[in-house]
Amino acid sequence: MTVDARRPLGWAALVAALLVYPFVDRALGFQTVHAVSDGMIYVLLALGLNIVVGYAGLLDLGYAAFFAIGAYSMGLLNSPVLGSPLYGYPWSFWVCIWIAAVVSALLGVAIGAPTLRVRGDYLAIITLGFGEIIPVAIRNLGDVTIEIGSWRPIERLNLTGGENGVNPVGRPQLPGVPFETDPVPWYFLILVIGALSLWAMNRLRDSRLGRAWMAIREDETAADCTGVNPISTKLLAFALGASFSGFAGSVYAAKLQAITPGAFEFQVSIMLLCMVVLGGAGSLKGVILGGMLITLFDRVVLTQTTFMVRALGRTIGVPALATADLTLWRWFFFGLGLVLVMLLRPEGLAGRRLRPAPVADEAEDILDVVRAPRVDGVPEWLRERAQNGVAAAPAILDVRSVTKRFGGVVALNEVDLVVPRGAIIGLIGPNGAGKTTFFNVVTGLVRPDGGHITFNGVGLVGLRPNAIVARGIARTFQSIRLFQNMTVLENALVGEHCRLTATVPGAVLRPPAVIAEETRARARARELLTFVGLGGKENELARNLPYGDQRRLEIARALATEPRLLLLDEPSAGMNPREAQTLTELIGLLRRELALSVLLIEHHMEVVMGISDRITVLDYGTRIAEGTPAAIQRDSRVIEAYLGTGYEQDLAG
Amino acid sequence: MLDLADVSTYYGNIRALRGISLTVAPGEIVTLIGTNGAGKTTTLRTILGTVRPHRGTVSFNGHRLDTLTTNRIVRLGIAQSPEGRRIFPRMTVLENLELGAFVRPDREAIAPDLERVFTLFPRLRERSAQKGGTLSGGEQQMLAIGRALMARPALLLLDEPSMGLSPILVDTIFRIVEDINRQGTTILLVEQNARMALRVAHRGYVIQTGRIVLHDAAAALLRSDLVRKTYLGEK
Repeated sequence: MTVDARRPLGWAALVAALLVYPFVDRALGFQTVHAVSDGMIYVLLALGLNIVVGYAGLLDLGYAAFFAIGAYSMGLLNSPVLGSPLYGYPWSFWVCIWIAAVVSALLGVAIGAPTLRVRGDYLAIITLGFGEIIPVAIRNLGDVTIEIGSWRPIERLNLTGGENGVNPVGRPQLPGVPFETDPVPWYFLILVIGALSLWAMNRLRDSRLGRAWMAIREDETAADCTGVNPISTKLLAFALGASFSGFAGSVYAAKLQAITPGAFEFQVSIMLLCMVVLGGAGSLKGVILGGMLITLFDRVVLTQTTFMVRALGRTIGVPALATADLTLWRWFFFGLGLVLVMLLRPEGLAGRRLRPAPVADEAEDILDVVRAPRVDGVPEWLRERAQNGVAAAPAILDVRSVTKRFGGVVALNEVDLVVPRGAIIGLIGPNGAGKTTFFNVVTGLVRPDGGHITFNGVGLVGLRPNAIVARGIARTFQSIRLFQNMTVLENALVGEHCRLTATVPGAVLRPPAVIAEETRARARARELLTFVGLGGKENELARNLPYGDQRRLEIARALATEPRLLLLDEPSAGMNPREAQTLTELIGLLRRELALSVLLIEHHMEVVMGISDRITVLDYGTRIAEGTPAAIQRDSRVIEAYLGTGYEQDLAG
Repeated sequence: MLDLADVSTYYGNIRALRGISLTVAPGEIVTLIGTNGAGKTTTLRTILGTVRPHRGTVSFNGHRLDTLTTNRIVRLGIAQSPEGRRIFPRMTVLENLELGAFVRPDREAIAPDLERVFTLFPRLRERSAQKGGTLSGGEQQMLAIGRALMARPALLLLDEPSMGLSPILVDTIFRIVEDINRQGTTILLVEQNARMALRVAHRGYVIQTGRIVLHDAAAALLRSDLVRKTYLGEK
């Protein structure tokens, strides 16, 4: 973010070191430029994989397949000798590198699409299969004949070079720069591509898109209900992650001058994954560190140590040492290193450390911890949004005879519920009555088996959760579902996701409109956090907040989506009566100041009876009562099923 | 029976407990009340050994707990519920309850206890063949409490048992707390519903930012100004 502004000297020193390194290396005769250049290619690959695994949290075990696609796109289009009629003459390296990136991105989407509904173990297994398929396909497409009857439209076509691969591959042409056996020009070419990629990734991470990836990684359902479309977000992660491997594969093919299917086997995928995990998934610095460590360990340290061990073996006359080859032990050392890092620093060498927040200071008055919301704290922009609403129907939410069955259990049975504009409606009932299922149906997480749901005059059934958020319904969850490993500010910013517009080019190039939008979004998020009482905690990780603050943050995140209807699922659970009072004031304030409609599931009767205009009672999925709080409290069925007789004396204290 | 002496617990370099001393005598219900983040759950974790105290001692019937692993502590006769509702989502309700009795040597007494749990929570009987993860939040809460009861501990640690339960069940829960206490189980109760907790408890401790600021008979705490203003929400 602003690291470069604070540490210009450090950056200047780093750039200078990178620029003079190959010449120093040559002067001293180290001959490490080749290894370092290859290392940078692997770092670029690992950075691409980091988008998929580190940011979006999608475990990809077959990433080397994209590396292969990139390398073969370059090899096939740029090779001067390959006997294919498709690729009669070599294309320019500078054109091919972009084609390779696009082809890889398209394949990223193609493999991403069928895996959208699976996560975790299943996704990993599918990518594993994909990683196996690509090298096999490349091996077998070296001699293609298609025979339809006696007609042979394609005969003995050498599409990929088969087991022998593509050799030679054309080199980049640049006036005055010899891309030959001297590694120095290659070093600088890779350095430039790597630096540009890093610059783009860094900007993507700090954009609306980067936050969406991380939100999906943290909690896909919560992200969906906060307005992030999980389908397009995941596909974008696959596509962008793959496109960087297209660049890396291109340069790899051109630098090596030859490619064979063997270079893209399963071990490569695993090595790339090791780089990401070792350095710290999600951290650009960490992945660079992990990538360089592993490549240089393999290419420099192990070979040099082997020489030393052999020399030692010869000197002291131990034949076993004199013929030792430590490079054969590389997987042993990788495995050992990974185990040690996971034990000692599970977040990776440069990962974000997860520290708990300090507890309230000793001197702090306990009563100040529970701050009452203030009318003048209501963000002005939310007020403006509130006035822009178009009233398309008298009721903001109109639910008619909604039914939902899970197997044999009828979770909701012909339930009707109306939320008038600007009203607070309570939804109560025994545990397991179907209240949360009702929320899930309204927010699109669960599709009803029957009935109609109309919001602002428009039908909602069949819409995705994120589309429903965009229309103006936000929710909180019974068991808090924040994006745990993102900061408080980032959580609120994800809430604004569906109101922001930056796309990939916008996020990378940052034209003035995108900068203005992002600045405004951050200012709004801060205002909102101050309003709910989280001012000063913007940069803490959500997981480190105390329970009450987590509840408040969830409400702030919901408000950031600019809702017209807010669904709160047991917002005061786990709060003491005093905190519950503050929450009640907050909900009342939102209705008064923002004309927000609220549907509230709540078991604290002081809260629900105090602020609801009307209350609906569910029992075994059926509406058993509907009316004003006073009427509900006298209803004998409600007392029998839900309130019990003890509660009145409890209210009386 | 349970004795915490000058216990300090840290998370990293942050001191969550600042020298807590409390005792629970056999047969008592003792309640620990305080706001969110005051250190109530940390106290329970320290007793169960899921976090280690940096200073001070925790002892139970003469055993030092602060050097034992959690499963050893549980075998000494301490059980906790609901531990943030950590039920086993892919096992049935019945299997969850049976696992609660995992450490018990008296196999023949398990069936009557299962019956007792089902009587307390008829909803669990209705759903006994369902997977734990398909239960609603409140039902999972019942299951977590039922599972702790199945361990038939000498000391039961209850962490906000009334959270997320309907008013009628809140009444039930506190009646159950009194019942199992009469049957011989000692209870340490952490609750946000301070009024109900202080009604069933014999004694109470008030914890603020990691320190015990007040302890007294429960009835006396109900009358104290600090408790009424801070925890009961009275003006």
